[in-house]
Amino acid sequence: MIEVANLTKRYGATLAVEDLSFSVERGEIVGFLGANGAGKSTTMRILCGALGATSGTAKVDGIDVMEDPKAAKSRIGYLPEAPPLYLEMTVRQYLRFCARIKGTANPSEAADKAIGRVGLASVAHRIIGNLSKGYRQRVGIAQALVHEPQLLVLDEPNSGLDPKQRAEIRELIEELAAGETTVLLSTHVLPEIEALCDRVIIIDHGRIVAQDAVEALGGGMGVIKLVVAAPSAELAAKLEALDGVNAVKAKGDGVYLVETQRDLRAEVARTAVDAGLLELSSQRQLEDVFLRLTGGAA
Amino acid sequence: MRALAIAQRELSSMFASATGWLVLTGFLAVAGLFWSLSLAAYVDYSQQAMVTPYLASQLDMTEHLISQYFGSIGILFVFICPALSMRLFAPEVANRTLELLLTSPVSTADIVLGKFLGALGFTATMLFATAPFPLMLWQWGNPDLGAFVTGYLGTLLLAGALLSMGMLASAFTRSQIVAFMLAIAGALILWVLQAMGTDSWQAELAVVPHAQDMWRGIVRLSDLTYFAAFIGFFLFATHQRVEAHRWS
Repeated sequence: MIEVANLTKRYGATLAVEDLSFSVERGEIVGFLGANGAGKSTTMRILCGALGATSGTAKVDGIDVMEDPKAAKSRIGYLPEAPPLYLEMTVRQYLRFCARIKGTANPSEAADKAIGRVGLASVAHRIIGNLSKGYRQRVGIAQALVHEPQLLVLDEPNSGLDPKQRAEIRELIEELAAGETTVLLSTHVLPEIEALCDRVIIIDHGRIVAQDAVEALGGGMGVIKLVVAAPSAELAAKLEALDGVNAVKAKGDGVYLVETQRDLRAEVARTAVDAGLLELSSQRQLEDVFLRLTGGAA
Repeated sequence: MRALAIAQRELSSMFASATGWLVLTGFLAVAGLFWSLSLAAYVDYSQQAMVTPYLASQLDMTEHLISQYFGSIGILFVFICPALSMRLFAPEVANRTLELLLTSPVSTADIVLGKFLGALGFTATMLFATAPFPLMLWQWGNPDLGAFVTGYLGTLLLAGALLSMGMLASAFTRSQIVAFMLAIAGALILWVLQAMGTDSWQAELAVVPHAQDMWRGIVRLSDLTYFAAFIGFFLFATHQRVEAHRWS
């Protein structure tokens, strides 16, 4: 569905995206992960035709975005970081307008359908400028899917939403992807990616540093937090001796952080049980991978 | 077709804003004042003409009333069009809604043309809202219908020229105030150029004189060419400017 090859974008002397290549299959949900300024938005904007690339190609459904922008864009629904809303219009007017410029056969019907899908029926007649941030974000998403595109590109669809709204948006994206829709979404909220995505692409300073299935990337790498009643140097040594443990840090008060290469919770528990194991928890593994790859690790 | 959707949205957003109604109301009030002044002057003139045979031979409704009517609207447009055109691109860039248009399957030409037609539609609405003024002439006299047709055409072309120039200004900045100042500076310069003498090339560039003959019922190919070239140039320049947004 998406084929990006050797994409480079330069702003003056700054290199925003450097030689980026990746592809996304039809029906996949792929998460774009990276720190602020890593080049996520730039890549998405190039893919959606808002920005020209310095070099390289971006294809959607086999169509080059630069060569045949109209055909490519009619297949894409794009939600920018800031939802592009005309605040003086009502939700329904706005979505009808979007449906018209995106070339749907029946704009009113398409708008009503999008309103239903995103749960905007109760505010459809209201002026967008008077809506809360959560509703505005939903109008932005409705705009992206009003022409039922094959590909949804969502730039931080969850920013500024409360947990309930996040869960709703997540459900909506899952529902869309259960159909034929391909989804590329960016976020820096890691649990979102783990909950939603089949695959993650991690970028840093405009370059891809890892791309794989969520499980494979998480792959047991992580940190196990351990609390024991009777801490001792002997315990630390025993833990360190386990196969697959990288390091053990004693944090005092019986708290240990055990860095592991794979899932070692069972082994660690067995070792620590004699020292009076009180608590064992596994920290977010993806987060760890992310920090390690983007050089943000402590 | 998609340019029409953009034009329609532009037009309805003018009517959805307080500014739109304020501009329309203010324009009608001032145009009405101008109309009653020129009507009073014409009545005075024709009363003098009843006792002065020379004046009677010079009395011409097209010359002394109809062209005055269009002239006063034309002058108002020099100030009003920049206030309308400033809204065309500057707020779209500031609110990042331009992103919606740039990522929709519409060409940049559709965007530029749609916005231009939307603004022109609003000025046409303003212009034709003044139609009741001259319509009352048929009550008492026999005005030249042709002069009205060409007068409206000339005024619309003038508005189109001013709007296209203002639209370019609006595409260069995210501030509506800056867009307004740039557009009105351009409009005033093009207005004042006519003082450079009748035969100079600078005066040929002045925008209002090219509409003046049409206000008197005379259509010249040179004037039509001027407006076509003027509007075409600024639409093209705006197109290039909007396209450049993809590269910034």
